[in-house]
Amino acid sequence: MTTTPAEAERASSPPHRSAAPLVRVLSAELRWVLRRPRNLLALLLVAALPVLIGTAIVLGGSPPPGHGPPVLSSVAGNGLMLPVATLVLAQNLLLPLIAAMVAADALAGESSHGTLRGLLLAPVGRVRLVWVKAFGVLAMTVLAVAVIVVSGTITGLVAFGGDGLVTLSGTTLPLGEALGRVALAAGWSAIQMLAVGAVALAISSTTEHPLVVLAVILGSLIVFGVLGAIPALEWLQPVLITTGWSSVVDVLRDPILAENLLTGLWRAGCYVLIGISATIARMTTRDI
Amino acid sequence: MAGTADLSERGTADTASAPEDDGALAARTRGLRKTYGRTTAVADVDLDVPRGAVLGVLGPNGSGKTTTIRMLLGLTQPTSGSAELLGHAMPEHAGRALPRVGALVEGPGFHPFLSGRENLLRCAAVEPELAGAARRGAVEEALERVGLTGAARRGYRGYSLGMKQRLGLAAALLTPRDLVVLDEPTNGLDPAGTREIRRIIADLHAAGTTVLLSSHLLAEVEATCTHVAVLQRGSLLTQGELTSLLESGGTSLSVSVSDNSAGMAALRDNGITTRQEGENLRVELTDVEAPDVIATLVRAGVGVHEARRGRAGLEDIFARLTEEES
Repeated sequence: MTTTPAEAERASSPPHRSAAPLVRVLSAELRWVLRRPRNLLALLLVAALPVLIGTAIVLGGSPPPGHGPPVLSSVAGNGLMLPVATLVLAQNLLLPLIAAMVAADALAGESSHGTLRGLLLAPVGRVRLVWVKAFGVLAMTVLAVAVIVVSGTITGLVAFGGDGLVTLSGTTLPLGEALGRVALAAGWSAIQMLAVGAVALAISSTTEHPLVVLAVILGSLIVFGVLGAIPALEWLQPVLITTGWSSVVDVLRDPILAENLLTGLWRAGCYVLIGISATIARMTTRDI
Repeated sequence: MAGTADLSERGTADTASAPEDDGALAARTRGLRKTYGRTTAVADVDLDVPRGAVLGVLGPNGSGKTTTIRMLLGLTQPTSGSAELLGHAMPEHAGRALPRVGALVEGPGFHPFLSGRENLLRCAAVEPELAGAARRGAVEEALERVGLTGAARRGYRGYSLGMKQRLGLAAALLTPRDLVVLDEPTNGLDPAGTREIRRIIADLHAAGTTVLLSSHLLAEVEATCTHVAVLQRGSLLTQGELTSLLESGGTSLSVSVSDNSAGMAALRDNGITTRQEGENLRVELTDVEAPDVIATLVRAGVGVHEARRGRAGLEDIFARLTEEES
């Protein structure tokens, strides 16, 4: 009823909007991200990962304590450990790779196809464009983490059963609370990956070669890993993005060991802030 | 073919009426300058694009055409100077000007993994003036307009150069525009495609849309434009109506007479320079009027079969302008 006068006005004189509705632009971006074959393939891959690990453990037993991540050795007979164990494995390289890939496509990829120009000419404001692109990276990263956790939970419950979770501290949590812990781990991990995505977006805004973004991100992760392992460089630890990624398993202690988790959140938050600010600074001045 | 002839006729007809004040300009630049390190890409260009005109920016490759257009559209920051689009300062008020501007700059840009239609739908989603419900219709209409309806479902990956160019044009024409900017629009198109583009430009012009196109093809500009601006090495050599530019290039009279040598002698005796060109005599009308030439010939008893005024082509003028400069 209220739309009729608006429509009548639109028919008589062209509407003068300076930007398309935000929801429409965001959903177009989401559709664009999820239409891309390589992104779908990545989601399929992360969905298969827990199934693969679960099957391997069922067939060959879990690695003895001391070999591989500690959570992995406690998966057998404790199904809800599987999603977190997979997360710990994936967040070392696979999840950062996905975040970097989507961020690389978001600005550098669009720039190399000449489509970034089209968006600016529509027009989508330059600052708004950064938020839209950040939303795309966020959506894909969160989705990848969610797919791992959901697939891991289902696989874990089917393969190992269990109506609860034996924590790393030895206590047993009921199913409801256990699922809550798994969700908490997923959320924490997603925020860490968003930090990677934000930095990748900043690199993406400086180049039109998506490969550069991937190379820089993966290269830095490897270098950070090396630096983090050198005792003489311990003072560097607080600023390295990879520091404390393994503390995600603290979610599985009883009670939750919050200290490292909270520092991790602060660190990720700082990286997100730096990444987004650098992207906006670059995009508002760049020739496209 | 019909479209081309139609256009040149209309072009000469209504450019005379456009007054040259600011309100009548669809775009203008003042002292626009862009330097990259020590290279000056665009040097103090004062370009005026009158509303309703089809303005062709002419210049060889690397003359600053695209950089000027990019600054006008807010894609590149000028080093100094100002640009205005539909009365709004660029790039500060891009949000006000650009919804009414369609542009195809530096070739079409689309995603290879999407079909032509999906690519256009993505463009339509970010068009401010397209209402949600009108998007599909606008996309189909644009596809129809550039003759891509049949190939709309095919992946952009498999498009030929010409089809890509057409899709770029379709994106520029998604909504009714006040100004359409086309950078080298006929790149990669076959003669039929070129004619098609000319027809579309003629249609836009007939609907009152201002068109700014850049080209290094003189014939294209001569066939489609009402106004011309000539750029060389970043500087604007001249701009104005195509007809007056062609006039300035000098007019000549080509006369077919009964006796060429008698005719030449008669003209020379009266101080009119002439030369034989094929079967005819050619007189440059620089300091003499056409009737005087004919009267002189008739008085000398030379029979005049036919006399035709001819103009220097844009090519001659362009060559002269660019030579003067270098």
